[in-house]
Amino acid sequence: MRAFLAFTKKEWLELIRTGKCVLLLILFTLFGIMNPAIAKLTPWMMKMLSADLSDMGLILTETNVDALTSWAQFYKNIPMGLLLFLLLFGGILTTEYQRGTLVHMLTKSLKRWKVILAKAGVMVSAWTLCYWLCFGITYGYNQYFWDNRAAEHLLFAAFCTYLGGIWMISLLLLMSVIFTTSSGVLAATGGAALSFYLAGFIPKITEYLPVRLLGASGMLSGLETPNDYRYAVWITLCLSGAAVLLAVKLFNRK
Amino acid sequence: MNLTDILPFLIPLAIAQFALLILALRHILTHKHYKLGNRTLWILVVIIGMQFIGPILYFLLGKEDA
Amino acid sequence: MDVLTLSHVSRSFGRHQAVKDLSFSVPEHSVYGFIGPNGAGKTTTMKLILGLLKMDGGEITVHGQTVRYGQNNTNQYIGYLPDVPEFYGFLTPLEYLRLCGEVTGIPKRELTSRSEELLELVGLKNSNKRIQGFSRGMKQRLGIAQALLNRPKLLICDEPTSALDPAGRKEILEILQSVRKYAAVLFSTHILTDVERICDEIAFLHKGTLAFRGTMEDIRTLRNGRGFQAEFHRKEDAEKFSDAFLGKQENDSLLVTCEGKTQEDMLRAMAYLAENQISPRRIEMLETTLEHLFMEVIGR
Repeated sequence: MRAFLAFTKKEWLELIRTGKCVLLLILFTLFGIMNPAIAKLTPWMMKMLSADLSDMGLILTETNVDALTSWAQFYKNIPMGLLLFLLLFGGILTTEYQRGTLVHMLTKSLKRWKVILAKAGVMVSAWTLCYWLCFGITYGYNQYFWDNRAAEHLLFAAFCTYLGGIWMISLLLLMSVIFTTSSGVLAATGGAALSFYLAGFIPKITEYLPVRLLGASGMLSGLETPNDYRYAVWITLCLSGAAVLLAVKLFNRK
Repeated sequence: MNLTDILPFLIPLAIAQFALLILALRHILTHKHYKLGNRTLWILVVIIGMQFIGPILYFLLGKEDA
Repeated sequence: MDVLTLSHVSRSFGRHQAVKDLSFSVPEHSVYGFIGPNGAGKTTTMKLILGLLKMDGGEITVHGQTVRYGQNNTNQYIGYLPDVPEFYGFLTPLEYLRLCGEVTGIPKRELTSRSEELLELVGLKNSNKRIQGFSRGMKQRLGIAQALLNRPKLLICDEPTSALDPAGRKEILEILQSVRKYAAVLFSTHILTDVERICDEIAFLHKGTLAFRGTMEDIRTLRNGRGFQAEFHRKEDAEKFSDAFLGKQENDSLLVTCEGKTQEDMLRAMAYLAENQISPRRIEMLETTLEHLFMEVIGR
């Protein structure tokens, strides 16, 4: 347990001292502010546009902005944040074995599963922190300007997308064990996510796929209910757990 | 559209972007080697690079892994 | 007692046999030199000992326990220093040693004193800089400190000196020699003077097999009996001497080589020179340097 905690502490120190932590916090703060900002600016931009468009004979009706507009922005931007997050963590394992820093730890009888779990834990906590920070900022602005009650199942929808992020992180971890360069890891993670995304076009299975969680905004307007996401949530939880377990198994054999 | 509507966004945005800029600049100036490019290039990219796109580019493509 | 024993160990990569039927053992508190040209299988052997690679055949025991691939419980007796050690650059030396100690499970109170003691041993005590600014020599020294942290019975160093300048090399060798108090040292090198300076025993590895093995004493005895060589001012002196001692005089030169002669032979030759009032320019025993051995061993 002490070994695990020591290694976890090292991972956190790495995040903080290499500046990754601050970078992530600033980025997700920015995202959090941008969502309501864009929503707030939408009517103004529409007015500018409609001036041009009415010259061409098109008339735009008055756009109505509320918390939902802002939340829509949130769900549009969070995949971008997730992408940056994954890019920053693409080398979490590969740089260690490329530079040979992990050999010292392993020859000091650090169990391999502790390495994987410590890294998984740090990534998940960083994601938790970043995601809910972004969510909280958007929530605060929305509450200030409009009313969050307009959005239904707000927390559950946010949780779904959060879970989708965790699933991507577990994929990244699995790929980190399989591939030896960070570009390989990122390409493979992207490839895996893409294949899930494409599989989402098959209507029969789309309900069960983890990628569905990344676009959970359908619940906010009441078009969908949490019940529609029930399979996807459970399957994502299982898949994420399986990915981490598989990563541990494969890493033991390396 | 009036100023009180934008100010709640403008101030934190400006602070965050400024923080990011300082962070990137400090990192560039305290490191000699980059994954790609050189110091002058990155300073230009970070300053010109549309507020926060430049620093992000630097941290993703320029910063060497520790 | 032997800290490390290898018996009939072999390992191949595809069709290439990196290590063939290798057997040797390292006694306690000795410095064991592991010599061979690049690609002789030194690093492979070390990885086998550490259980980082799987053996094709044979057995390795460390402190009486058999090494098993992937299960690293024999590694508690081993400290390992790779050729170019890399550490987490964002930590300071003390923080790094603490991380290592906590991973190994050294009690907290002991860890602090031990870290400081080791940093003093390798001369990094007052270094509060982060490791990323370290020179190679400094990293090497930190490497030795981290390898000694868990009081190993055996310290394995892979080419500890090859990346360093002469001053740095001397420092590392001195540290290794003082390490002998704590543990046996097995280190690989292709620099022969390193070996001559600090080793008790050596093993020559060539193309995966053991070409020669012995103590430094063995090597010193080998040195005798290679003969002696004398150089003269005048040609007639050289000829006279050559006739008297069955020496070889190369193309009428002033240099006479008497092969296969012992030290007693040389003493007699010196008496002869004194009797006959011949003064040589120089006269000396031919020594078997490691270099000679090395060249002989690899058949050049």
